[in-house]
Amino acid sequence: MYNKKVTLFIQCLVDTLYPEVGEAMVSVLENLGLKLDCPTDQTCCGQPAFNAGHQAQARKAAVKFLECFKDAEVIVSPSGSCVNMVRNHYPELLRDDPLLLKQARGIAEKTFEFSEFLVDVLKVKDLNARFPGRVTYHDSCHLNRNLGINHQPRTLLSNIRELTFVEMKAPDKCCGFGGTFAVKYSDISTAILEEKVNNIIDSGAEVVTGCDMSCLMNIQGMLTRKKAPVQVMHIAQLLSRK
Amino acid sequence: MDMEKEFIKTIQTALNRPETKVPDDLFTTTPSPEEVTLLEKIRTRTDPERQPLIEVLRRVVPGLHMDLHVEESIQDVARGIEKLILEKKPEWGTKKSVVCWDHPLIKELKLTDLPNLKGIDVYTTSMAADSPRRREEIRKEVQDSFIGITSADYCVAATATLAMKTRPGHARSVSLVPSIHVAVVRQVDILADLRELYTLLKWDEKERKEGLTNNLSLVSGPSKTGDIELVMVHGAHGPRELHLFVIP
Amino acid sequence: MELTSKDYKKSARKAIGDPVLQSALTGLQGRLGPATATLYKNLPEGPGLRNMAYQYRRKAVDNLDVMLTTLAENIRKQGGEVHFAPTARDAVDICLDIAAGNNVKKVVKGKSMVTEELGLNRALMDKGIEVNETDLGEYIIQLAGEKPSHIVAPAIHKTRKEIGRLFSEKLGTPYTDDPPTLTWDARQALRKKFMEADMGISGCNLACAETGHITTVSNEGNIRMSTTLPRVHVAFMGMERIVANLEEHQAILRLMSMGAAAQQIGGYVSYIGGPAAPDHVDGPRAFHLVIVDNGRSRILADDEFREMLCCIRCGACLNVCPVYGKVGGHTYGSAYTGPVGAVITPLLGGINEAGDLCQGETLCGACRQACPLQLNLPRMLLALRSKLSQGDPKWNVKPKSRWEKLLFNGWNFINTHRRVYDASLAIGRVIQKIMPKSEQMLTKLPYPFNGWTQSRDMKPLAAKTFMEQWKEKKEGRS
Repeated sequence: MYNKKVTLFIQCLVDTLYPEVGEAMVSVLENLGLKLDCPTDQTCCGQPAFNAGHQAQARKAAVKFLECFKDAEVIVSPSGSCVNMVRNHYPELLRDDPLLLKQARGIAEKTFEFSEFLVDVLKVKDLNARFPGRVTYHDSCHLNRNLGINHQPRTLLSNIRELTFVEMKAPDKCCGFGGTFAVKYSDISTAILEEKVNNIIDSGAEVVTGCDMSCLMNIQGMLTRKKAPVQVMHIAQLLSRK
Repeated sequence: MDMEKEFIKTIQTALNRPETKVPDDLFTTTPSPEEVTLLEKIRTRTDPERQPLIEVLRRVVPGLHMDLHVEESIQDVARGIEKLILEKKPEWGTKKSVVCWDHPLIKELKLTDLPNLKGIDVYTTSMAADSPRRREEIRKEVQDSFIGITSADYCVAATATLAMKTRPGHARSVSLVPSIHVAVVRQVDILADLRELYTLLKWDEKERKEGLTNNLSLVSGPSKTGDIELVMVHGAHGPRELHLFVIP
Repeated sequence: MELTSKDYKKSARKAIGDPVLQSALTGLQGRLGPATATLYKNLPEGPGLRNMAYQYRRKAVDNLDVMLTTLAENIRKQGGEVHFAPTARDAVDICLDIAAGNNVKKVVKGKSMVTEELGLNRALMDKGIEVNETDLGEYIIQLAGEKPSHIVAPAIHKTRKEIGRLFSEKLGTPYTDDPPTLTWDARQALRKKFMEADMGISGCNLACAETGHITTVSNEGNIRMSTTLPRVHVAFMGMERIVANLEEHQAILRLMSMGAAAQQIGGYVSYIGGPAAPDHVDGPRAFHLVIVDNGRSRILADDEFREMLCCIRCGACLNVCPVYGKVGGHTYGSAYTGPVGAVITPLLGGINEAGDLCQGETLCGACRQACPLQLNLPRMLLALRSKLSQGDPKWNVKPKSRWEKLLFNGWNFINTHRRVYDASLAIGRVIQKIMPKSEQMLTKLPYPFNGWTQSRDMKPLAAKTFMEQWKEKKEGRS
C-alpha cells in the first residue's frame, strides 16, 4: 500500500480550460485509495516564459512553485512538459542560489507525470477501466524525449477493456505547438500540425489521447476546425471510464 | 607566423589557459589490451578463418553496387579482367585502353600476354625518377583508359572498403578517373571490419613506420549520387563500376 | 558574410506553399531519418559509442590549441603549408594569394560549407577566376544561381524537370528529365573542368591531429577528383573540425556517415596529409590548409555554447526536424540550415540579426536524438532566446521586443498572485462570451493570439477552474 500523500500539480491549461481532466485524474487516484492534496494557490509553472527565453520571469514562477509545493511528499501532474520543466529546468534556472537550488532538486526528485507515477512508482498497469472504441496515442515531445515516458501510457491503454489501440504514423513527431511558437510562427506551426492531424485521421481512430493537454489542445483545435470525427481525450479520462 | 601565434593565443585565451591544464592523455602512445588482442587475432588469422569474411563480402557488395569475383589463381583473375575488357564498352570514345598500377600483384596478371588483348594498350603508372614529362604522360594515359586496375592495402569485409595508401607507382587516379575500377586483392589482406583496419593502421609496426602517407583513400563502391530527386545513379564523377577480384 | 534570416517568416510561407518542395522534404526525411536511427541502434560497439564520440570531440575542442599546433606541425613535416585565418577576409585573402602565386585561372571545388560561409566563390570570381562547384547538387544550384537548401542534398528543392530545363539551357544538352542521363550530362561537363583546373578547393570533414591529415568524404568522388587532378590543392577547415587520434577519428567518421547519409562509411574517404611526394606519379604538387576562426573563438570562450563546436555538420538533425521538414533550407538564409543553422548562424552572424532562427523552433528535441553526438541543440536554442530576452553585451545582443517582455512581466504579476489570476480569468470569461464560436469552440482570437485561430479553434475558459471545483468539493466534505 502506497502511504504517501499525493499532491496534485495541475497544469494551468487543465486548471482553466480542461478541469474535467484534473477531475478524471483525481478519480483514478482516489479509486486506488490514495490520499490527495491540492495547493489551490498554484498557477503556471513558468514554461511558456522559459521557452520564449524570458528566464527572469520563469524564475519567479519557479520560486512561487517551490513555495506552493514545499510540504509535498510526492507530486503528480497530468502534463509531461510541466514535469519536464520542474524536473529538468528548475534546477538550472535556480542554479545561482544554493538554497533554492537545493529545494528545486528536492522537488524535482518527487515530481512525477501521471502515467509514469502509475506504472513506475505504484506498479499499477491495469485500472479496470473500460472504453469501447479505437484509440491512438500521440507522444508529446518533452514527455517522450526528455522524460523517456512512452511505454507507460501504452501499457495502461493496452489494459483498458474493449479499447482497440491503433498506432498512427510517426506518433513521436512533434505536433507543432511549442508554446508561443504556435502564435508567433503560426504558418510553420500550422504546417506541422496538419501532418500530425492527418496522421491521426488516417489511423482510423475515434479518439486521440496523450499525457499532455498542451499538445492535445493544439491537436483538438485543428480537429474541430476540420470537423474531423476524432475526439481528444487525456489518458486520465480514458482510465477513469468504467 | 605572427598571424598564427595570434590565432593560437586567441584560442588559448578562450580556453582560459594556463588555468586549464592540457591533459596528459591527449594522444595515445600504447595500444589498449583490446587492441593488442585484436592485432594478435588479425596476425594469426588462418585461411579457413577468412572464408566467413569472404561470405560477408559477398553479402555486402550488392548493396554497394560492386561486383565480387572470388578466383582460384591470378590466371583466373587475368581471364576475368580480359572478359571485362572485351565485353565492356568504353564510355568516352571507341578506343579501348587499360591502365594499371606498377604493383607486383598486378604485374603477375601479364595482361599483355593474353592473345585476345592484342591491339589494346595496357599502360602502367611507373616512373623511374621525378619527371614532369612522364607525369604528364601518365595523366594522359589514365584519362584515355576505360579500365583502371589497382590492388589495395586492405579490403574490409563488413563495408567492402578498399584501403589504398599512396606510393610510387600507385597512381591515385587509376582508381578514380577510368569508368571501371578493377581491384585485385589477396585473401590475407581481407579484414573483418573498420575497427580492424584502423587498429592495424594505428598500431602495426610496419604501418606506423610508413604512416598514412600523403593520401590514404578508402573506397567503398563505385561513385554514386542521389542529388536529383534522391534517385540513386552510379557514376557521378568517379568510376561507374567497381569489380573486386579476390585470390588466395 | 551572407548570414541573414530577415525574411524567415516570408520564406517559410513560400516554402510551405510549394508542393514540390514539400514532397521532396517529406521524401528526404522519410528515407534518411529512420534509416539513420536504425544504424545507431545496431552499432557494434553499442549505443555508448555516441557518448564516447562526444567525449572525443569535446576533448579536442577543450584542447584546441594543442590540436591545431600538432596538426600544423605534422602537415608541415609532410610538405604541406598551413595558414591560420582569424577572419573570413583573411581566409579569402590567403586563398587569393595562393591563386595569384600559382597563376591559377580555373578552380574546381568540392562541397564545403565553410567556403560558403566565407563567400569564397564570389571573391575568386571577382578576380576573374573561373569557379566550378563539382558536387552534382552544388553544381545544379550554381548553374541556377541559387543557394544550397540541405547540408548533404543541396538541390533537394529542385525537380528533375527543372534540372532538365536548366541543363538544356546552360549546358546545351538535349532536354531530358531522366536522372541518370542528367547525371551523365553533368559528368561530361565537369570531367572537362576537372582536367583543366589549376586549383582544387575542398573543405575538411574532420582532421586528425596526431597523423597530420585532413579528411574529405563524398559519394560522388568529386572531392577526390578536385584534390587529385589539379596541381594545387587548398583545403579550408573551420578550426574546430579536429580530433586527436586515429581511433577517435574512426568512430566519429563512421557516426558522421550514418548521420549524413545513413551509411556505414562514406563512399570515398580521403586522408590528405600533404602534396604529392617527388616520386609520386600524380596528385597536387602543392597543398595548403587554411584554418579558419571567423567567430569560432568567441563560441569557444562561452561555456554555454562551446558544445556547438563539437558539431560535425553531418546534417542528421535536418532529416528529423519538423520545422526544417516544412520550411526547407533556404528559409534559414545561410549555408547552415535546419537545427544546426538555427544555433550556429546566430552565433557566427549575430544573435539579433538571426533572432527568428533561434525562436522559430518547437524545441521538440528530435534534433538531439538524431545527432550522432547527441548535441543538446534545444538547450542552446533556449540560451540564445534568453539572450534575446535579457540582452548580453558580451555577444552584442540588444533585448528584443520590449513589448513581449512587458507582456511576460504582466503575466508574471498575475501568475504569482492567485487572486489576480482568478480575477483575470473572470474577465476572460466575460470577454469570450462575445467572441465568435462554433460548437463551443472559439474560432477567432484577438491580436496577439490571432495566429492560433488562423488554422485552429480554441477551447474557451471553463466556467469554473479545477481549483474552484476542488475547493467546493473539499468544503462539501467537511
